[in-house]
Amino acid sequence: MVVIFKEEINNGATRLDRFTLKETILESAAVRFCRMNYIQRRILIYVIVFVVIFNLDFFLPRMVPGNAAMVLRPAGSRPPAEEVAALEALFGLNKPLSVQYFLYLKNTFATWPPYLGVSNEFFPTTVWNLFVARVGWSLLLMLSSLLLALALSYVMAAISSLRRGGKSELGFLYSSIVFEASPIYWVALVLLWVFAVDLKVLPSFGNFSLTAGTSTQYVLSIFQHAVLPVLAMTLSIFGEDYLVLRASAQEVLKSDYVIAARTRGLKKRTIATAYILRNSLLPLISLVSFSLAGLVGRLVLVEAVFGYPGIGDLLVDAIVNRDFPVVEGTLLLITTMVIAGGIIGDLLLMRLDPRLRETKMGRIIQ
Amino acid sequence: MTQSSTKVTPSKSSPRRLGSLWDYVIHNFFQKRSAKFGAGILIGIFVFVVAGSLLTPYSPYAPSPSIDAPPSLAHPFGTDYQGHDLLSQVVWGAYPSLLVALASAFGAAMIGFFAGVFAGYFTKAEGVLSGSADAILTFPIIPLMILVGVLFIATDLVIALMLIAFLWAPVTRAVRAQVSALKRQSYVDAEKTSGLSDLSIVMRVIVPEVGAIAVAYFILNVIFSVSIATALEFLGIGNPAVVSLGSILYWGQQFGFTAGAWWWIIAPGLLISLFATGFALIGFSLEEVMNPRLTI
Repeated sequence: MVVIFKEEINNGATRLDRFTLKETILESAAVRFCRMNYIQRRILIYVIVFVVIFNLDFFLPRMVPGNAAMVLRPAGSRPPAEEVAALEALFGLNKPLSVQYFLYLKNTFATWPPYLGVSNEFFPTTVWNLFVARVGWSLLLMLSSLLLALALSYVMAAISSLRRGGKSELGFLYSSIVFEASPIYWVALVLLWVFAVDLKVLPSFGNFSLTAGTSTQYVLSIFQHAVLPVLAMTLSIFGEDYLVLRASAQEVLKSDYVIAARTRGLKKRTIATAYILRNSLLPLISLVSFSLAGLVGRLVLVEAVFGYPGIGDLLVDAIVNRDFPVVEGTLLLITTMVIAGGIIGDLLLMRLDPRLRETKMGRIIQ
Repeated sequence: MTQSSTKVTPSKSSPRRLGSLWDYVIHNFFQKRSAKFGAGILIGIFVFVVAGSLLTPYSPYAPSPSIDAPPSLAHPFGTDYQGHDLLSQVVWGAYPSLLVALASAFGAAMIGFFAGVFAGYFTKAEGVLSGSADAILTFPIIPLMILVGVLFIATDLVIALMLIAFLWAPVTRAVRAQVSALKRQSYVDAEKTSGLSDLSIVMRVIVPEVGAIAVAYFILNVIFSVSIATALEFLGIGNPAVVSLGSILYWGQQFGFTAGAWWWIIAPGLLISLFATGFALIGFSLEEVMNPRLTI
């Protein structure tokens, strides 16, 4: 009896429709979607995203005229027909589409490491090897700028929730709006010009200096080369984090337990860090795991400006050289990375917020 | 200090009802300093671009003998490595870049708004629409747009359509949440009892009340779309020979640094930044008006 009653509550919103309308496939899908808990819904979405990118990677290049065999030649010159045929046979492009698709599936999932094709530019090297050689540098940039931006926005939010309406809050607010609105590649160009070209204090290109002799010099040169890219990315992402932290801190500021803490005579600093900011962490984690895709986009642009040899630079170089296997393979692997990061964020959220384990449409940020 | 942090924002009008969102927003919006500032920036850009393109004596494509010249009276923004006048390049290049941004933000706000209204009101549409909106927010947009832009000829129209395909999703999320709260209000039930069909409830009751969200998201979308559209131009996707704000920066990065030509990258980038900042300031004050707790 109790079980049936619970079931009815769960269906509350849709019960009326269920009696009046025929249950369509769409509706039952919708109901099923609403009944999933947070992590189930996220995993469904990740699967959809992966499948879509996987298929776009296969079908988009085959929708345009010409193929990899033609592209290998410099633009303008038409290769002889037998050469094209030989290359098509090499890449398997002369087989029927269904066979190609099956091969693509097999190469991606049934082989380790996944065979995503061979680069045209660096001919015998596979896309996977190119990607693996560079992904560490990109992770270095992404993680350090993410941590730096989080630390910066945390401190700024703490200061502005201590002194509401002060000059510092106004300054933080306007600087975060301006940096969030400025296009990241332009900020990177300006930084590059000021520090590397004009002042010549930092290197303008690459990830480490080849002349570094000792290991200390090597580490120092890695640090020097990473400063400008990390700075550009941090400037571009701290604004959003700060605005989210500040908004949720101000919601918490009005709550009863903060007023109670204040009447108990707790120090302002204790209230700001232990009460206000701890409660603002959930929307922040949610924001970070949702903004991973945007972070990768920023990474691509920053690496393109600084010539930093990570995966973004690989992608942009491949575009310039019309190296389609690399473009497609990198896109698939970047998507996988974003999804992996998103799953980590979701698991963290589930652990921290018991509400998300319930079966309902629970959303943290709106 | 303690007093100021517990003070409640004074509201002159009666307690805010969802139905009066428009009146409330319009009444309070233009009293915000950041709104005035943002509107000033945008009007300034409009005047600069229109007057500049009418007054400048040079064609953006006409080379001149003074190559790589720093700013001077004849060329206020300097010239590039082929002697193109950068002032006329910036004002003429602003049209394609900013129009793509505005058009795609508008299209995405409209589509996302109606998708959100339907997803919030009709439970049948909810799963599919909000599911696909969530999925789109997970796509690595810039790499995917780069792939599409490289494979197909990335004209301004293609870039705008791609932006619309991605930017409707956040609008739908926000509108859906608001509509599904609004749907449970008793006056919506009353309209239903009085015999109004679902479609006319949506068009006459729901849409006017949440319309302000579409405006807010149009503004937010402009910030993203101008940044992404010029980023694609900057990477050389599309046709870098056509003058646009991003393509000026593309050539500037290829040939500017070796000559130390800082004037080449400052003006176009500053115009993009100011344009986005103007919209961001307006969007910020709109958000403050709609959510008064954020007010300083």
